[in-house]
Amino acid sequence: MINSVQKLKREILGLNRRNQEYVRPYNSPSSKAIADNKIQTKRVLKKELIKTPEVYKLIRSKKQLEFLDWDSLPKSFVIKPNKGTGGNGIIVFYGKKKGKYEWIRPNGTSMNRRDIILHIENILEGRFSMGSKSDIAIIEERIKTDTLLKQYSYRGVPDIRIICFNQVPVMAMLRLPTKKSDGTANLHSGAICTGIDIGTGITTYSMHMKKSPFLSDTYEMTDSTIDLKENKPLSGIQIPFWNELLEIALKCQEVSGLGYIGVDIALDAEKGPVVFEMNARPGLGIQVANQAGLRWRLEKIKDVKIKSIKHGIRVSKNLFGGEIEESIEAISGRKVLNITEKIYIYDKKTEISKSSSRRKNTKELVRAFMDTGILTSRIDPKLANRIGYMQAHKDFNKTNIPENFNSFKQAQEYIDKHEQKVCKDTDIKRLAKIIEDGEIRIRPVFDVPFKMAKEYKVSEFVSSNSADSIYPITLGRVDLSGYLIDTSNTF
Amino acid sequence: MFETTKLTQWIIAHGVSQTVLEILIAMCIVSTIVSITRYIIGSKTYGIYSPIILAIAYSYTGLRYGLAVTIVVILSSLLSYSILRKIRMHYITRIATNYTILAIVLIFFFIFIDTFKLGLENMSNIPPLAFISIAALSDFFIKQYIKKSLKTSLTTLLGTIFVAIMGWFVITREIFSDFVLNNLWIIPILAIANILLGMYKGLRIKDYFRFRFTAKEDDK
Repeated sequence: MINSVQKLKREILGLNRRNQEYVRPYNSPSSKAIADNKIQTKRVLKKELIKTPEVYKLIRSKKQLEFLDWDSLPKSFVIKPNKGTGGNGIIVFYGKKKGKYEWIRPNGTSMNRRDIILHIENILEGRFSMGSKSDIAIIEERIKTDTLLKQYSYRGVPDIRIICFNQVPVMAMLRLPTKKSDGTANLHSGAICTGIDIGTGITTYSMHMKKSPFLSDTYEMTDSTIDLKENKPLSGIQIPFWNELLEIALKCQEVSGLGYIGVDIALDAEKGPVVFEMNARPGLGIQVANQAGLRWRLEKIKDVKIKSIKHGIRVSKNLFGGEIEESIEAISGRKVLNITEKIYIYDKKTEISKSSSRRKNTKELVRAFMDTGILTSRIDPKLANRIGYMQAHKDFNKTNIPENFNSFKQAQEYIDKHEQKVCKDTDIKRLAKIIEDGEIRIRPVFDVPFKMAKEYKVSEFVSSNSADSIYPITLGRVDLSGYLIDTSNTF
Repeated sequence: MFETTKLTQWIIAHGVSQTVLEILIAMCIVSTIVSITRYIIGSKTYGIYSPIILAIAYSYTGLRYGLAVTIVVILSSLLSYSILRKIRMHYITRIATNYTILAIVLIFFFIFIDTFKLGLENMSNIPPLAFISIAALSDFFIKQYIKKSLKTSLTTLLGTIFVAIMGWFVITREIFSDFVLNNLWIIPILAIANILLGMYKGLRIKDYFRFRFTAKEDDK
């Protein structure tokens, strides 16, 4: 409990710190003004050739509303307040009723011209804008969701939020509209938030707000979509255009001048990535989606000098990539190992289950190679000598076992005949027939205590002096069962 | 209970009535409570004005009566809003109509209380401004309901009432108000406390619940 609280304090970014340490010092009022104004955002991004939804109409006054040419509006469009917050006041229309001035919403209801006029008037009066000041209504293009993400969302447009700080993408999440959220990607309305591994662009954990009426901001985990006809698992989705999305987010940061920014990007089926919004005070729910804290990430990159967008992405992937492994562990119950891992090898006398014994005996940190092509793990004889098997090797060498055999059968027959005698009164556990440097040989097997991926165990290791291996330890299938090997981080 | 200090005597002698001084002190105390609940606990209120005004109103109406009026105000606002939302009308006119309906409901509520002698007979001694202050809650409630959602508005309402009750509790303790009235140095202390709260960067209590998922301990 105390550890959990301390971990939260160390890693999580709360609202107080976000405002004091990141929003105020790094986001100037003029930059915030750009992000808070959707029209200005579009203007600034257009200069940098970053795509945003196309604007059909801007309505600044009731007079303009009176003269709105309804026939010029397409079948599907979106109405939003220029200075709206939290998705308030945004209405999406999916289609138009034939021969009528009536447009259909994601929930199946329709709004006629009178309803829309009233809604726009409310926008103009500032009902949805920050500080309730008079506002401008934007009528813009409706994004046609990318086919991959479309299968995971309920009617609305899913978007990807990327938080960047100091020209480095720090954390990302995918927001999926649900029936409860009425087709919006707003987490407070019930949308699903799914963490994204920044290194690969693959989705990890998914959460959504609890149904409890008064416990706001409390989430529960979900493995799959919630209310689709056929619910699909949410982890492991590869977000298309991942590198491009990271680049766009960093470009947005550059042009807006916001040091700490949240960029919302949607994937259009035809246009590709389209920036919805830049946020100068991005919410903290992204930490829940990723099951990771923002604080330590932000602190890690505070003083890093970033030379270019590509450099920023590289830093981000190196520092913050890898959540996918933890997520796979959580989902599959299997731990993910890299193709080479550092492991501790203990002295042969160590009672590995007892911490006192582990402390008392010597240990050595070595790099191990994961090789699913062999069954029993292998240890370099020099390392085996260092952990106490020098005498065992001497005993083995005295036995005059032939250098090599013509076949496995022949080697097995030799083992069957001599194993008992060889192993008697020595530390050799058994004999094994292996292929070493292209020849069939018999080698001694020892019990070796070791620690790998936070697990302590004793396992059989064949002492092998293969010239091919540059690693003192090669772990075989016996010791790799229950693990997944990630080959992407090879060497 | 406490001997009136020279400073307090001097202020009162210069035309500032004791009631005004008490209200000003109450304002400082309740606003500090709002700061604490917002930045330490993480509970939201309808700004800082409404909990202050509500706490002071409760101190005049009494908590029981004040809460009863608050409930009537909220129920009436909800009812009138749900009726009015079906009618196409402008935002301000909708709020104005809501107030009109609220005024009618409150009149009937007071008659009901008087008719059935519900133990709130000292109603005539309560300053009318106290009722208006509670009625003003309707505006905050409906505004947030329209802008965000009923759930958000109700949560904020509960936060506001919770802070107002705490404020009411503190400012109605005679020993406490007497003490502060005669130890006015507490006011600058409250200002310093607020400045320190303003610089607090730690997690709010609510954050611990919100992000508890992310604190899974590592395997040892």
